[in-house]
Amino acid sequence: MIIRKGIVCLTAMFLGAGAFYSDAQELSGREIMQLVDDTSRRSNDSSFNRMQLSSCKFGVTDGRITCAERPRVKSLESVSKNYGAELKDTKSVTITLEPAAERGIGMLSYGYDEAGRDNETWLYLSTLGRVKRIASGDSDEETEPASLFGSEFTTEDTDTGKLEEYSFNVLEETTTSGREVWKIEMIPSEERARKTRYSRQVHYVDKERYVTLRSEKYDRYDKEIKRLMAARVELVNNIWMSRSLTMMNLVTNRLSNMAFVEIYTDLAIEDEFLTQRTLTDAAYRETELEKLRAQLNQ
Amino acid sequence: MPLLNKNVSIVIVFVAQLGYSQQDTNLDSDEEDTLSEEIIFDDDLFGNVFDEPPTQENDSWLDGLTVRIRQQFYGQVNSHSIEPFPGFSFPKNAEIENNRLGINFRFQNSFAPGWLFQASGQTRAFWKDDYEYKANGNNFDAESRINELFVQRSFDQHSIKFGRQTVVWGETVGNSVLDVINHFEFRDFTIIDIEDARLNQWMVVWDYFGEESNWSSFINLYPEFNPAGVRGSPFFFEPTFNFTDYQRDGEVLVEVGTQWKKSFDLSDISFMAAYLYDNQMRFEDPLSGFGDAIGKKNDFILLGFSANRAIGRLLLNFDLAFSHDVLADSFNFPGTSALASPLNLKKDRIGTSFGFEWAIDNEQSLSLGIQAQQLIDEREGLLPGQQLVYEGVYGSWLVRYTNNLLNSDLTIDSTLQGNIDGNSLLASLGVSYTINDNWAVSTQVLSISSNTESPLIFFDEDLRVGVTIEFSF
Repeated sequence: MIIRKGIVCLTAMFLGAGAFYSDAQELSGREIMQLVDDTSRRSNDSSFNRMQLSSCKFGVTDGRITCAERPRVKSLESVSKNYGAELKDTKSVTITLEPAAERGIGMLSYGYDEAGRDNETWLYLSTLGRVKRIASGDSDEETEPASLFGSEFTTEDTDTGKLEEYSFNVLEETTTSGREVWKIEMIPSEERARKTRYSRQVHYVDKERYVTLRSEKYDRYDKEIKRLMAARVELVNNIWMSRSLTMMNLVTNRLSNMAFVEIYTDLAIEDEFLTQRTLTDAAYRETELEKLRAQLNQ
Repeated sequence: MPLLNKNVSIVIVFVAQLGYSQQDTNLDSDEEDTLSEEIIFDDDLFGNVFDEPPTQENDSWLDGLTVRIRQQFYGQVNSHSIEPFPGFSFPKNAEIENNRLGINFRFQNSFAPGWLFQASGQTRAFWKDDYEYKANGNNFDAESRINELFVQRSFDQHSIKFGRQTVVWGETVGNSVLDVINHFEFRDFTIIDIEDARLNQWMVVWDYFGEESNWSSFINLYPEFNPAGVRGSPFFFEPTFNFTDYQRDGEVLVEVGTQWKKSFDLSDISFMAAYLYDNQMRFEDPLSGFGDAIGKKNDFILLGFSANRAIGRLLLNFDLAFSHDVLADSFNFPGTSALASPLNLKKDRIGTSFGFEWAIDNEQSLSLGIQAQQLIDEREGLLPGQQLVYEGVYGSWLVRYTNNLLNSDLTIDSTLQGNIDGNSLLASLGVSYTINDNWAVSTQVLSISSNTESPLIFFDEDLRVGVTIEFSF
């Protein structure tokens, strides 16, 4: 199983800026995506999520996409907080609750916004008996980015920021899922293109809610290889966001659904919780999680 | 998990009952590349997830229980003969060594704020043809043991754990010179990794989590020693005198140690010091000439340093150990007990282990670990003609390659390990396949080569194959 950082960031990618920009029609593609990105950081801060990650091979029955096999399900708990002068660095802890064979696996990730600064990741497994630093680098054109918990979501799909590494075109204004959207094409710069599998991406951004409802991802031969569908768009803590994200791999015909079963933001999270102690000290971790849950009930 | 899935194993196709029909859900070939706009994505494909009540409303103490049931077949399949000494040859026939059902459980419960109880254990049932079945007079046999059993109390910057547990030091994967706190048991060739061989001990562990660095200290209240080989196991040989546990006779043994650890940008370092007993006892013949062998303990001081450094996809590891007052002629071979001439000569030993872990890409990883040790002034105090079991630089090396396929459902795991003087080589290839959230199968092939300079000569040209089926919930 491959576990990587960034699961919390994904929450953020599909959040909307809400009604902050009433004259948004005049915004450029870059400005629209910047709004989505900025909001994502804000929403990602001091958050506690419970997620269910379901993966299966998919098929089409009566014109509908369905799972062609019993989905593999992982249940995860994640806590995240932003740091740095502009709150652009993120520390997060993710713990696997299910399946039983992976229960208790913990991952601590420090994600840095600074260009050229490698992110840091530590893993805890009871079989190892200690916290272990994990080495990982950027993906590139030739290699598949790291999978999130063995799902079709990858670290590249969860990346936020770095918008300066892309150019944007508003292709058209249209509708999808009954909502009015901008169809925005995102093309990587020459430098960025060396680090990404996608030659371009097309995002369908809700014009009112600033939520990305759909994303199409193309390879260097301009063939669509992955598609992301967002559903259950809800107003959570005054932020529009999708609570159900489904990534379809159109090459392998597998899909993964990330369901944000519980989402809480703006919590008081101790800095110490986002350290290696949380991985090794289960008594401390459970106590702190109980404190977070207590905040949810207030 | 790959890096972690130490169950080197083999894939067999296992037919499981799947609740989902696959009859009408195939993609037409035209649809394989790109879905048409007309295809409907069902928002509620996984919608039932949201129908469940919030987790805090349905938490149960059983949530902390994990059970794993494994049936394992394992055997030596190459009929051949070995010649450990010139002119002395004996045959080794293909035979089943392991046919056993194992039940492992692990339970963790945070029963009050700042408190945690954790326990894990195992029961093994030995079926027909298992070496423990044979050792029991061709009768069914079973054994159980508690692995972990501790209570943890965490408050402020402190955490105290009391009970059976392990303490792991060192950075190098698989063969760190600092990973000597817990004793271990290599009972047979189904376990060749130290991560699976460690045994828990009764300890008090106190961790202090500072703002800039951490301390971790332990007191081992009942130091234990590597158990003798189990009768019937591949490692068992009939000794002249029976090996027993250490005869304490009311003697109180204690081990203590502490470690200071600090993380920097892309690096972690540790310093450690400990008063320990060699995990491997040295056995001497009974004074009376009959009865049980006499197990001799040896206490020594360990000073150590470890560090790692991440450089992109590369992680460098380094361990350094200085051992004061180790027995010069303590013989240490995994899974067996020692037999050496009673030479009560104590010396200092310097050791290092180092290596790297390289994430080739997101599916493949390669790691290397090399361990080397040497006694300081090793000839000093020896009589002319006397020889030590280990002279000069001795140690081992280990290479692991892992490839995770099919979203990590399929893991290929290969290990090569040997001693640094090139006298022996273990080559292992394992494949494990996760069928679904509960079922997994795995297979392992292990080949051993050795010359007469290594104790592994008794397993030269052995070829072992195993299959394991596992159900967890």
